[in-house]
Amino acid sequence: MRSSERSGWRAALRAVVAVALLLAAAAAVAHKASDSYLQITAAPGRVDVRWDIALRDLDVALDLDGDADGKLTWGEVRGAWPRIEAYALQRLAIEGCALAPVGRGLERRNDGAYAVLHLSAACTLPPKPQIAYGLFAEVDPTHRGIAKVQRAGTAVELSVLEPSAAVAGGGVVGAASAAALSPASRPASAPPNGARAGAVARWEFFAEGIRHIVTGYDHVLFLLCLLLPAVTRRAPQGRVPVARLSAAVWPVAGIVTAFTVAHSITLGLAALKIVSLTPAFIEPAIAATIVLAALDNVLPIFPVRRIVVAFFFGLVHGFGFASVLAELELPRADFAWALLQFNLGIEAGQLVIVLAATTVLFALRRWRGYARFVIGGGSAVAIAIGALWFVERTANVSILPF
Amino acid sequence: MRLLRAPIGACAAALVAAIAATRVVAAPIEPTRDDEVIEVLPATSASRSEDRQLRRRLAERPGDARLATAVAERYLAQARESGDPRFAGLALAALAAWPDAAKAPNEVLLLRATLEQYLHEFDASVDHLRILLARPGNERNAQAWLTLATVLRVQGRYADSDVACRRVGSGGADVYAAACLAENAALRGETAAARRSFQELLADPRLAPSTRGWLLTSLAELEERDGHPGAAEAAYRAVLHLGRDTYAAIAYADFLIAQKRPAEALAVLKDEARTDTVLLRVAIAATRANAAHRERDVAEMRDRIALANERPEASVFHGREQAMFALAIDRDAERALALARGDVARQREPLDVLVFAEAARASGRRDAIEDARRLKSTLGLHDRRIDALL
Repeated sequence: MRSSERSGWRAALRAVVAVALLLAAAAAVAHKASDSYLQITAAPGRVDVRWDIALRDLDVALDLDGDADGKLTWGEVRGAWPRIEAYALQRLAIEGCALAPVGRGLERRNDGAYAVLHLSAACTLPPKPQIAYGLFAEVDPTHRGIAKVQRAGTAVELSVLEPSAAVAGGGVVGAASAAALSPASRPASAPPNGARAGAVARWEFFAEGIRHIVTGYDHVLFLLCLLLPAVTRRAPQGRVPVARLSAAVWPVAGIVTAFTVAHSITLGLAALKIVSLTPAFIEPAIAATIVLAALDNVLPIFPVRRIVVAFFFGLVHGFGFASVLAELELPRADFAWALLQFNLGIEAGQLVIVLAATTVLFALRRWRGYARFVIGGGSAVAIAIGALWFVERTANVSILPF
Repeated sequence: MRLLRAPIGACAAALVAAIAATRVVAAPIEPTRDDEVIEVLPATSASRSEDRQLRRRLAERPGDARLATAVAERYLAQARESGDPRFAGLALAALAAWPDAAKAPNEVLLLRATLEQYLHEFDASVDHLRILLARPGNERNAQAWLTLATVLRVQGRYADSDVACRRVGSGGADVYAAACLAENAALRGETAAARRSFQELLADPRLAPSTRGWLLTSLAELEERDGHPGAAEAAYRAVLHLGRDTYAAIAYADFLIAQKRPAEALAVLKDEARTDTVLLRVAIAATRANAAHRERDVAEMRDRIALANERPEASVFHGREQAMFALAIDRDAERALALARGDVARQREPLDVLVFAEAARASGRRDAIEDARRLKSTLGLHDRRIDALL
């Protein structure tokens, strides 16, 4: 009797609270829930993951805010970084890949600051990879991981990952991914934090520069477009081959120098954060420079000399190099030196390409079909590829396999 | 030559489009000093260290139902205060030790159902409340009945809601039972009786301000649906006179926007936190009022919607708000209609049905207008604003 009286009274009291709460509930809808963002880039034998995780979510799991003042300072986050990496790595497994941290960053998004984890593994991503995801499973069951998987030459695959507690415990989530999940298969010798510290001393950024120009087909194609007609000159009867090597070398040297000076300027400006342009604009713009340069070979559209064209378009390409540089995350301490290495690497790679191309073109210059097939045909191919790239990069679809 | 002209044109057009579509949504942070603040954590009503202590204690004793509900209640209150759904997730996590509803203690189950209601998982909420109320000793749990009545009302099940309202009274909370029934009566169009009921309840001078505010808001909404803007406005003003009330401020702003008084709507919302629901109204009112900040507000709301939609289910959960945005800002009736249709499949408050009707009318599609009319009559909803559209 007494207990039922009491429960009735308590129920009434709670109802008062409930009413106030119910009212508030109706007002509170449509918000950003907790999401992490995974960008998984797969190439044969290599998988790179960029993982953005909100600092405020990490704070709940790891108490990042050491002094509990409600503010996360860089010192607090930096000090906690090994814990962040350890926590996150235990909660992600990609089938067949042993991910190891290779870099770090911070990103400001609309809903706050995010820790950026760069992970990498030497593995080939299976066609339908099983991704075991357990981030924040014990902290917030409504959390999700938004994964974008990009393979060379295919469209981006989007998937939403639901955290499952099984991963956090290192348990079996599925037969296929079980191996990747067991602690034993994790790299015992994961690179220590700040793995990039010695990179400058080892000239790694020089190598990155070379790698970028040699595998950056768009820059190579643009250079080739500029070089195609350089072993000929315009005459009243059409294009005629130049007589001596020196007659070809000077225009080539001029064009390459103009291109180099220009892209070094913008690379520097962008790297120093004086000017910044989004890749969404730069990437299609680079494709457009190829189309226009190739077009100019078959029907002159620029009222200025080629060296001027090379300079102006070089400015655009420099921003392209800069976006690669941003992904590399240059060390702050040796920033200028790393930048110089990267630039020198680009120039070295470029020099090799130019020498090889000029040699071949010079040898071919007296061929009767040079103007028609090499300049005309080559430019037509460049226009086609450039245009397709342009479409790919603006519409965000994949057409070409490179 | 002619062959080449087309691609150049296309390239130029695409280039222009690419530039227009570009907006930076993320930018790297490069701190230079250790004391540089890179993130300010959301404000909490209680102390942070206390929060943390509770969390730790719960981690040590996850099966402690009292502790778990205390933590979950704290987070839920924070979710409601800030409109930040992350707190609802944290609250759910606190209750994770009881995945099986049949074995969850009463207070855990009630809180879980309340959280599900907050997260718009209405069916799950109803199921869990029914499990709870079927347990011996819980037949008179007034709060559970009241929550159930509210969820059923949101789903448009007025008759079922009535049954639950009556049980609220059996638990001893007569005021709430009467208000609960009056709310349903008003929705069905028994406006005279409902109005009288609200006025009688309001006549009690001992009412707590929050209860008074709730009753007045219900009365204002009744008058609005019944086509008495003057009486509705008086009631809204009375609520806001009692103190800050986000729900009432939003409802009043919607009323003012509908009355073509967007500048006043902006004034009503100016001190509210910019939650998504508030920002949506600000964006619409600013656009209508041609306010200087309209572009910024609209862009911010657009960004938030885009962010939320990275989760495929978001446009379902927030269909009402997204439909309102599509209709009022983008004037995209087709998209608004699709969103509103998805929304009324799960949530049928008068505003949901109104937005559906507006989208149907704007699309000019006969079948859509017919669907809206059918929905309204199936629900038995009385709303002259909707009648005017159909």
